Amino acid sequence: MKFTEDVISRFLLKRFALSVITLLILSVIVFAAAQLLPGDIGRNVLGPFASPHDVKMFNHQHGVDRPIATQYWDWISHFVRGDLGDSLQYNVPVAKLLGPSLVNSLKLAALAFVLVVPISLLGGIVAALRRNKLTDRVITVAGLSLTSIPEFVTAIVLIVIFGVVLKWLPVSATAPPGSGVLTQIKYLLLPSFALVAVLFGYIARITRAGVIEAVDADYTRTAFLKGLDTRHVMFRHVLRNSLLPTIAVVATQTGYLIGGLLVIEKLFNYNGIGQRIYTAATSKDFTLLQSGVLVVGIVYLTATLFADILYSLLNPRIRFGSAE
Amino acid sequence: MDRESMLRIEEFRRKEAGPLEGTLIDEFVDGGMDRSTFIRRASVLGLSMTTIGAALKAFGHAPLAQAATGAVLAGGRLRIGVVPPPAHGLDPHTYQDTGSLVTGGIAGEFLTRATQSLSLLPELATSWKPNANATIWTFKLRSGVKFQSGQAFGADDVVATYDRLTDPNSGSQALSAFKGVLSPGGTKRIDNLTVEFHLDSPTANFPYLSSSTTYQGILLPANYKIGTFEKTPQTTGAFELVAYNPGVGATYRRFAGWWGGTAPLDGVDLTYYSDDSAIIAALLGSQIDLINQINFVTGRALFNNPNVQIYNARGATHRQVPMRVDLNNPLKDRRVRTAIALSLDRPAIVKTLFDKYADVGNDSNFAPVYPSTSKPIPQRHKDLKTAKQLMTQAGHPRGFKITLTTEKTGEIPQLAQIIQRSVKALGIDMKLQILTVSAYFAGTSDGPPLGWGNTPWLNAPMNITDWGHRAVPNVVLNSAFRSKGVWNAAHYSNKKFDKLVSQFLGAIAVADQRKYEKQMQAILLHDTPVIVPYFYNFLAAGNKKVKGYRADAQGSVFLSHVSLG
Repeated sequence: MKFTEDVISRFLLKRFALSVITLLILSVIVFAAAQLLPGDIGRNVLGPFASPHDVKMFNHQHGVDRPIATQYWDWISHFVRGDLGDSLQYNVPVAKLLGPSLVNSLKLAALAFVLVVPISLLGGIVAALRRNKLTDRVITVAGLSLTSIPEFVTAIVLIVIFGVVLKWLPVSATAPPGSGVLTQIKYLLLPSFALVAVLFGYIARITRAGVIEAVDADYTRTAFLKGLDTRHVMFRHVLRNSLLPTIAVVATQTGYLIGGLLVIEKLFNYNGIGQRIYTAATSKDFTLLQSGVLVVGIVYLTATLFADILYSLLNPRIRFGSAE
Repeated sequence: MDRESMLRIEEFRRKEAGPLEGTLIDEFVDGGMDRSTFIRRASVLGLSMTTIGAALKAFGHAPLAQAATGAVLAGGRLRIGVVPPPAHGLDPHTYQDTGSLVTGGIAGEFLTRATQSLSLLPELATSWKPNANATIWTFKLRSGVKFQSGQAFGADDVVATYDRLTDPNSGSQALSAFKGVLSPGGTKRIDNLTVEFHLDSPTANFPYLSSSTTYQGILLPANYKIGTFEKTPQTTGAFELVAYNPGVGATYRRFAGWWGGTAPLDGVDLTYYSDDSAIIAALLGSQIDLINQINFVTGRALFNNPNVQIYNARGATHRQVPMRVDLNNPLKDRRVRTAIALSLDRPAIVKTLFDKYADVGNDSNFAPVYPSTSKPIPQRHKDLKTAKQLMTQAGHPRGFKITLTTEKTGEIPQLAQIIQRSVKALGIDMKLQILTVSAYFAGTSDGPPLGWGNTPWLNAPMNITDWGHRAVPNVVLNSAFRSKGVWNAAHYSNKKFDKLVSQFLGAIAVADQRKYEKQMQAILLHDTPVIVPYFYNFLAAGNKKVKGYRADAQGSVFLSHVSLG
C-alpha cells in the first residue's frame, strides 16, 4: 500500500510543519505577553526596597534592558538548542525547575487519563446503547453536573471527605522522595479523582453522541443485515467510527491536563508545571515563564500530533487521502 | 532586701556599668520601670543574666524564671509546612519574604536572639556593651563555634557578614535596619573574639538591630560566596540545609558539631505551600506537624480543633493606611483625614478580622508591646458626629470621591471593604483598586516625580500596606513617618516630629523614650497622615506531637529546642 503510506506521511508532515509554525507564533505571543506584565524585572527580583542603581545593574546584567527583538532572538535561538537559560528569580537553570515539574504534571495527567478514558468511554457507550432510558439519564445528568461544578469545589470536597475526615488518602499530592510507583499513585489519586469529575461528563457525552450516530448509520444497518453478530458490529463498525471525535476531544484536553491545572496543583500542593508558570508570571521571571509556556505548547502539539496519527489510522477517509 | 544582691549590684555599678547601664538601674530603682521592661532593657544593654537576676532580687522582684528543662524525647523528623515559598534565592542578606527567612533561619544563627517578650538572649555573641553615648558597641563572641563547613567562627566572619549587610550595592535588604545607623567599614575586628560596631549615629537599641529580628543577619563565613547557600551547608545552627528545591521544599539534618549541644530532632522536612487551604488540609490530614503561619480569617477550621495547638505571638505587625498630604484633593486637609480615622469602629474591625488575636491601633506605629509606648494612650474611637463636623468645616459636607489602592494579601482586601463602607457615612464615595502584590510594589520607589518614584504603594492618594513586626519602632519611624523617609507613603513632613524622632532614637532611658513617644503620638493624632487600625498577633499552628515550639512575632521559625512527643 505505497500510496496509503505516502498519503499518511504527507499528511503527518504537513501537520508537523503546522505545529512548528504554531509554536513559533506561540513563542512570539508569550514573549510579547510577558513584556506586558506590570513591573520591572530587577525590581521584582531584588524587592521593593532595593536601590534603583541595583535594579538597573540587575537588568543590565541579565540583558533585559536590550531591544525586545534582540532579547527574543537570544531566547528562542538558545531554546531550540536546548538551552533554556537561568531563572531570574531563583538563579538556577530553568531546565532544573521545569524538568521535574513537567514530569510531575505528566504523571498526574497520565493517571487521570488512565482513569477517565475507560470510565467515560464505558459511560458514553452504555448511555448510547440505553438511549433515553434511566441509565442514560443518570449517566448524562451525573456527568453534566460533575462537569459544571468547578474543580476547586470538587477538590475541596474530596480533600475534606477522604483526606481530613476518613484519612484514607493523603491530601497533598507530592509523595515523599524515593517513593515507589504504588505510593506515588496513592498520593495522586485524590487530584486524579477531581480531574475525572471534571472530564467525565464531557468525554462521555461526545462518546455517546458518536456511538448514537454510528449505530444509526447506514453502514451499521448493512452490517447487521449481512448477518454479523452484535459484538462484531460494535467493535468493527460502531466503536471504530464513533471513537474518532472522542480521540480528538481527549487530545485537546492534554493542554489543560499538563499546563492548566494551577488550581488543582495549588489545592493539592503539587509541584506541577502550572504552578511553576504561575509563580514565574507573578514574579516576572521571564525566562522561566516563556520557556514553561513553550514547553507546555510542545507537549500539547505533540499530543495533538499523536492524536492525528491515531485518527488517520482509524479513519479511512484520511488514509485514502479524501479528507483533504 | 537581699544584702548580698545589693552588694553585687553596687559592685557592678562601680566596676562594669557605663552611664547607660547606670541609668537603667536608676530607673528601675526609682520605680519608673516594671519588671518585664527592666529585663528587656537590661538584655539589650548586654547585662548578664546573673546581674539581671541580682538586680531583681535586690529590689524585691521575683527572680528570673529558670528555663524548664523537662525530659525531651530525642529523635524524629519534624514535618513543617511553610507558606508562602521563598520568592528568590537564599542568600541571607537578600531575604525579604517569610519563605526565605524561615528557610534560612532554621539553619542560621545571629549575634543575639530576640525572644517573644522582646528581651535578647546571647547566641553567637555572649555579651555586648555600649560606650557612653551608644555610638560604639562592643560585642564579645562565643568561642568554640564551628561552621557546618568545618571552619571556626570568629571576628572576621562577623566583619564580612556585616559589611555585606550594610553595603548598598550588595542587594542587602537589611539596609532598612542599618541605613543611617551602620555603614560598611563600621564593623571592626578587635581580636578574634571581639568586634566593635562604630555607628553613624547614637542608637540605644542597636542590639535589637543586630539580633534575629534583622533576619538577614545570619552569620556566614568570611569566605562565603554569593549563591552558595542552597548548595553547601555553611551556617552555625543546630540544623544544616542538605537539600533545597525552589518552590517545593527543603531538607535539614542535625548538625553534629553544633556549639549548643544536640538538638532533639534528627532533622526537618520542609514543604512549601502557596495556598492557605492546602496547608491547613495538610495539617488536619496529618501530612505535616507544624504550619509556620496561619491567618485567622482563612484558618478558622484550626481554632476549635482539639488536635491542634495554636501558637500566638503578640507583636507590632500592622497595616498602615497612608493618605497623601501633598496632593490637590480633600485628603490634603488634616480635618478630612481625621474624619476618616474617626469613621472606623476599631474594636469591631479587630473582632471581625482577628477575633481576640489583635490589639487596637491608634494611628501610629507605637504598638502596645513596645516598652517605649506610654500607657495609657488616649485611644481614638468611632465618632461620626465629630467626623461629620470636621468634614463640614473642611468644606466637604456631602463628601467626595476618592480611590483606595491596595494589595491582595492576607485580610487587607476585607479591611479595604470595611473602610469603604465606614466612610460612606461621611458621604465619601470610595473606589477600591486591589492590585496583586507584585503590581502594588512595582515601579520605582525613589527619584522623580516627587522623590518616591512611581510605585503605587508610595504614590497612590490613599492606600493600605502591610508592615511586619519590628522589635523596636526605629525602622518604621525613620522610613514611614520622618520627612522624606524612604517608605513615607503619605509624603508627610513635620519638622517638629523629625526632631522628636532623632531624640527618641538616641534616648537611652525608657522614661525619655516615652516622653518623646508621647509627643510624637500627639502630633500624629493631630495630623493623621496615616491610619493604623490594629496590630495583630503572629499565629502558627501545629499538632499535639510538637513540643517546645513558640511562635515568633516576626515569623521566624526556631527549631533547635523543638521535639516530637
